[in-house]
Amino acid sequence: MLSWKSCSDDPMNTRIVHLLAGMSLHGDQHLAEVERDLVQMDVLLNEAVKKLCTSFMAIHQAIDLQQEALRSLLPGGMPEAGQAARLDALREEIGRHVGAAVTGLQFQDMTSQLIGRMVQHLAGLRDVFGVLGTSEPADLPESGSDEMLAMLNRLSDQIGARGDERAGATARSTVNQRHMESGGIELF
Amino acid sequence: MTKTILAVDDSGSLRQMLSFSLKAAGYGVIEAIDGEDGLNKAKRQTVDLVLTDQNMPGMDGLSLIRALRAMKNYQNVPILMLTTESGDDIKAMGRAAGANGWLVKPFDPARLTEVVKKLIG
Repeated sequence: MLSWKSCSDDPMNTRIVHLLAGMSLHGDQHLAEVERDLVQMDVLLNEAVKKLCTSFMAIHQAIDLQQEALRSLLPGGMPEAGQAARLDALREEIGRHVGAAVTGLQFQDMTSQLIGRMVQHLAGLRDVFGVLGTSEPADLPESGSDEMLAMLNRLSDQIGARGDERAGATARSTVNQRHMESGGIELF
Repeated sequence: MTKTILAVDDSGSLRQMLSFSLKAAGYGVIEAIDGEDGLNKAKRQTVDLVLTDQNMPGMDGLSLIRALRAMKNYQNVPILMLTTESGDDIKAMGRAAGANGWLVKPFDPARLTEVVKKLIG
């Protein structure tokens, strides 16, 4: 049985622990930055899409009102058959474009789900670095590959246990779309 | 009389788009931010159709459907799932829970209102 003193005084063990602690600290810092940027990107995308959506809706409503105003300017408030057909065709065309914009803007809903999943995986990676950084010189075996293997297995088990805790959030991606065409409809 | 639709989705922008599309087609819309909020609003007012996302924090879409179907006044109200998911397994679960249809995101406003019109006029 190794004593704490004998292991912690081993210069090689101390060096390994410092290396692990350094890796853990730097890895965690990089991941924290990526996580922060992803969350900010999600916030910005959400706000941008809401504003774009509001603008498209306002444009659609303003054009409807403009068409009504145009009709009222015509003699007797009634357009000729040709003019009425043209106004209706324009209205339909605008409706199609707004519909396409609404479909396209839903990319944000999907990217938000993907970003959420990425953040969960980043948290998983930070857990890995966290476990690596908790090693003490006393944890490391004085010598022997079997002892080293046992210690690495313990670390691996700790990482696995933390991964299991996050399994629900990261198990599978629910977003498989690869283009922004409208999805299928099935009535039961 | 204006038919009312309960739109349940945790994405604010998605609710905004659903609301815009359905209101433009002449329907009234009540928005809910997740399954629990949807259930509470459905209890306060019986709506004509429910449109729900699946993956939401807290109560998900399938749980909401099961809870609604357990209520007497929601046994015959059409419920549609609107979700990014399109797997056969989850669709079968939706059907078993009591969903009347499955719409995969992104939705097209014209096709959505066409389906809603078919179900509630």
